[in-house]
Amino acid sequence: MTYYVTTLLVYAAVDILACLAISLQFGVSGIVNFSFIIFQAAGAYTAAVLSLPRDTANGGFQTYILGLNLSFPIPWIAATLVGALLAPPIGLVVLRRLRSDYQAIAMLVLSVIASLVVTNTPAFLDGAAGLALVPQPLSDKFNPYSDGYHWAYTAGALVLAVIVFFIVQRIINSPYGRSLRAMRENEVAAKALGKNAVAMKMSVFVVGGAIAGLSGAILVGFITTWAPSTWLYPETLILFAAVIVGGRGNNYGAVLGALLVPVGFEEATRYLPTFGPPGLIPALEWVCIGGLILGFLWFRPRGVLPEQRRVFAARPKPIEATEQYAGRD
Amino acid sequence: MPVETDALAATPAADPQPSAERPLLVASHVSRHFEGVRAVEDVSIDVLPGRITGLIGPNGAGKSTFLAVLAGTLPASSGTIILDGDDVTALPAFRRARRGLVRTFQLPSEFAQLTVIENLLAAAPTNRGDSLRGALLGKRYWRADENRLVEQARDLLDRFRMSAKESDYASSLSGGQKRLVEIMRALMLQPRLLLLDEPMSGVHPSIVGEIADYCESLRDDGLTILMVEHELHMIERMCNPVIVMAQGSVIGQGTMTALRQQREIVDAYLVG
Repeated sequence: MTYYVTTLLVYAAVDILACLAISLQFGVSGIVNFSFIIFQAAGAYTAAVLSLPRDTANGGFQTYILGLNLSFPIPWIAATLVGALLAPPIGLVVLRRLRSDYQAIAMLVLSVIASLVVTNTPAFLDGAAGLALVPQPLSDKFNPYSDGYHWAYTAGALVLAVIVFFIVQRIINSPYGRSLRAMRENEVAAKALGKNAVAMKMSVFVVGGAIAGLSGAILVGFITTWAPSTWLYPETLILFAAVIVGGRGNNYGAVLGALLVPVGFEEATRYLPTFGPPGLIPALEWVCIGGLILGFLWFRPRGVLPEQRRVFAARPKPIEATEQYAGRD
Repeated sequence: MPVETDALAATPAADPQPSAERPLLVASHVSRHFEGVRAVEDVSIDVLPGRITGLIGPNGAGKSTFLAVLAGTLPASSGTIILDGDDVTALPAFRRARRGLVRTFQLPSEFAQLTVIENLLAAAPTNRGDSLRGALLGKRYWRADENRLVEQARDLLDRFRMSAKESDYASSLSGGQKRLVEIMRALMLQPRLLLLDEPMSGVHPSIVGEIADYCESLRDDGLTILMVEHELHMIERMCNPVIVMAQGSVIGQGTMTALRQQREIVDAYLVG
């Protein structure tokens, strides 16, 4: 039971991180990053190959680069950096010249290409089989199979999610967040008002990439395996569905969406009685995810918790003459 | 071939000597082609400081395209654009805006899901919190700038009698109010040259006069405006000089009174 609950909570933390990043990129800034999952995958692979020993260890049953056997937290820090550093090359290709709808298509294609490349180059990250036996953080000092370790890991993951929540909150509630929202509303007008839209998009792309990289590291550190089948492009669509349902541009909405869709909805379907041919229930899950996106875009496009209206404190009222002189005579 | 008039010399006595004025903006031989379509062809104009210059012409004359080229929204196919002595031809729109060359748009371009005051604040150029670093440093780092700019925005809202709408989403405003928001937003940048693209189009007649009043008041404060507009009676009231474009080229310039005497211009545009 402990393992079940902690697994659920770690997934919740990972999905919350992912949804916060997508909310910042898509909800606040209007960037439809359909390649989001490759940033998470890059973080997971980085954390894995930095934690794993050389691929000749464990009987050499898997092949991969590096295998530096570095101790925690270096693999997680590196995963965050790799997620961030992956953003500029992709951003320079996709964000500079393409319109937002073409950006979305280009990112989707990129996601598919990345998956195919990793799958078909086994010497790089063990191809379709993926990486296994990834050492868990601090597993040399603590027993990673103990309940205490699972709870500590869960607490760590949730604390990181909370820290990232406040960082993203700080960005979106700042004047910079306002400029990002202005860019989302009308990029041409924002440029005509002196906003460097490419630099702004790049900055949120980097921040979102870093968060995605961290979320990948947290996940692979817990489940200890990572393969192309875990980061296919539809995974990004689930996260987008979560943000759309929860409320784009609102961090609380992103958290709610993460808990409702990738965690809650997918978990609830586990308890359905089996019916129909094998694979029917997972297929119906996708139908429901698609239905959720369409339904919310149609009936409640701003989500369950819409972006908040920002109201500034009123000017202090000028003191009336009668008040000024009251009691003087 | 542009029809030159001596209308500028014939302007009222109170008008400064145009020949003595250094143009704020000089566009020389500016062209903009779209795959063979010559939307703007070899246009040269001077925009004099402290005036409202009108840019008129029939639909499809290339006025809005020319304005977009001046603002950098569209790159010029050829020609040069000099702003206050500096060549800005190669600069993208956001850099031109930061140098004081700010435009509004023919179609409403408000930031719909931002409130009215946020629309204004989003345009403010000098907020320490308007960068990723500034945002991460927190409210204490940018609060003073924000408070100052909120005051500046509220002063503008007062001036344009839009204070009551401060916290309304811009999407909920009427067409005329959206135009006013766009003008106020541009003013937050403290522009040197304001390019207005049909600020009175699609606006209720009662607000047309109001927009004209505001433009004149801004001019009286020293702001230079280049305005594309079809409301000829307002152009006549506010603008001096007026430039006429047709088929991508300038066909004449001067005061409206003088332009009405030019047969070619009357035939091309000023029917009636």
